[in-house]
Amino acid sequence: MAVSGLTAIGAGLAIGISALATAWAQAKIGSAGVGALAEDDSLFGSVLILTALPETIVIFGLVVSLVVTGFI
Amino acid sequence: MTKISVTGPKKYLNDVIDELHSLEVLDIEAYDGELETGEPFEEAEDLSQLLVDIRSLESKLPEVDVEEEDLELEEIENNVTEISDKIDRLTGKKERLERNISGLNDERKFFKRITGTGLTYDDLQGSKNLEVFIGVVDEEVLEEKASGSFDIVEGKSASVVIFEKDSDVEQALMDAQERSFELPEGDYSGTPEEIVSNAQTKKSEYRNEIETVEAQLEELAVEWRGKLETAEKYLTERIEKAEAPLNFGTTDNTFIIEGWIPSDSYATFEERVAEVTEGKVYIQQEEGENPPVEHDNTRFVKPFESFTDLMSVPKYNEIDPSIVLMLTFPLFFGFMIGDAGYGLTSLAVFYGGMKMFQKASAMFKSLMYASVATFLFGLAFGDAFGYVIFGHHSELAAVTGIHLFEQIPILWHRAEHLGQVFTISALIGLVHVNLGYLIGMYNEYVRHDFRHAFLEKGSWLMLEAAAILWFLEGTAVGAPVMVIALATLWAGEGVEGIVEIPSLLSNILSYLRIFGVSVAAVSLAAVVNSMANPLLTSGSVIGLAAGIGLLIFGHVFNTFIKIMEGFLQGIRLHYVEMFGKFYEGGGRKYAPFGAEGST
Repeated sequence: MAVSGLTAIGAGLAIGISALATAWAQAKIGSAGVGALAEDDSLFGSVLILTALPETIVIFGLVVSLVVTGFI
Repeated sequence: MTKISVTGPKKYLNDVIDELHSLEVLDIEAYDGELETGEPFEEAEDLSQLLVDIRSLESKLPEVDVEEEDLELEEIENNVTEISDKIDRLTGKKERLERNISGLNDERKFFKRITGTGLTYDDLQGSKNLEVFIGVVDEEVLEEKASGSFDIVEGKSASVVIFEKDSDVEQALMDAQERSFELPEGDYSGTPEEIVSNAQTKKSEYRNEIETVEAQLEELAVEWRGKLETAEKYLTERIEKAEAPLNFGTTDNTFIIEGWIPSDSYATFEERVAEVTEGKVYIQQEEGENPPVEHDNTRFVKPFESFTDLMSVPKYNEIDPSIVLMLTFPLFFGFMIGDAGYGLTSLAVFYGGMKMFQKASAMFKSLMYASVATFLFGLAFGDAFGYVIFGHHSELAAVTGIHLFEQIPILWHRAEHLGQVFTISALIGLVHVNLGYLIGMYNEYVRHDFRHAFLEKGSWLMLEAAAILWFLEGTAVGAPVMVIALATLWAGEGVEGIVEIPSLLSNILSYLRIFGVSVAAVSLAAVVNSMANPLLTSGSVIGLAAGIGLLIFGHVFNTFIKIMEGFLQGIRLHYVEMFGKFYEGGGRKYAPFGAEGST
């Protein structure tokens, strides 16, 4: 599929910005989570889940970029 | 699990503790009642002290291979201080020698700079009328600025300037010097060359002495380490027993122990305890809440228990999700990576990990399932290290000339049908999340009744059905079902349920990461191959070697990247998206008294 012009830019922005958002959120949660783990390592499961939650944002970004490029 | 209490006269306390320790079935619950809790045996304190001493000795002795020896506690007790002194003396000596050596190194470095000057140490110290400067000097600047007389002798990497005291040479040197070195004080004599070679000899003498000290330490280790390790094990057990009464309830003459045992070992437990106490203790079944949990899985599911516990130990009355992990985690991992080559390399990595890290061996074992799945999916997709091996445009057939490879059927070639991977990912999500709801329904049914199960979990299934009906059959059919679904959801989970509705969509969409990782997996392998390809076909030997090197490096790198991606994304889909639908966790792990790792 050939994607050009503003469509390509839009797709790039959709995934790029949402990836940044995910990264920012994960950085904050991750550092707090490691702090919590230092206190009590039985929290590992919950910390992992909390850290993984923001990944949904970038998945939405992926979906949006696939939609604008006409993949789905 | 059955909760029991063991009550008896204190004179049998010792026997009972010994028996409990060797039975390894009773998970002791700390006594929480009106009686006083027990005191640890008197020996506990002394033994703990000895144990601390022994552990500190063990940490100081060098590692040697030893076999376990017979217990000679008394011998150790009598010798602990002596050994400890010996070790301290030896390590102290070693440290001193090492300090000396580093001092000698500094010295040598200094005198090496001025080798070749022919001056002796006495000359360098100066005299009543002469001053000596050692350093790197710009001679031109010095000559220009100094009017007094001076002599400059060049050494290997520094010069020595000798000048009259109180002349202006000293001032001039300030401007001319680039670096200056301080003459070390000490008992030196002769030329720098002689001092350097002396230092060399002394250094090797110290080295020899260090070796002797190390040999002596090793000798000590060979003699004592085995004994210490045996004693440590024995003492740990003794202390565990001596401190056990802290969890018991006691009166002046009796004790009561409460705890949980697996229901099917109750009979043997009763019999054995009665035997050692001649029937003088009373064992009774009790009512209790929050029993400890032990996984009960077949051999194949066992390795996955560690992943469940990583998240949280299951509650007593819910389905152990290890079996779900065993069924779907390898499939996710395999589907995402889907490459026969990486299946084999990751299998090797996990096998190595299992051998190297005994503590995490179960985890690596379960990851090996995932590698096998990766290998099988790789065959199904006809991919190995990013090359097409099977199917009608098999690169393997083109290279080897064996057309049989083209005949081997494949499911489909991933790189050309990413659209299908996308759809399948979403479908996987739908199935997986709903599987979660079904398990949740079962858990609710076990805990409460069918009504709860239907209202809390079944309503979600109905909601999905309503959405599909609405889409397929139109508003007339969909809307009423939707209203009923929302009503049951409201009744089951209240307003929280309604608020959670959008998260159902985001959970299913989250499975699109399977598609995302698949794309990354296919492209990463292709990138390595396309980088190596021009080198491989360049025709020169160097090109060929570089190409092969690049292939090896690239695919090793990819193997680890893919393990990380496949593992993290695969396990996260279970933990977050699926477990969220049914798993509560927060159970207490069954840790029977006496078993390894129970304290």
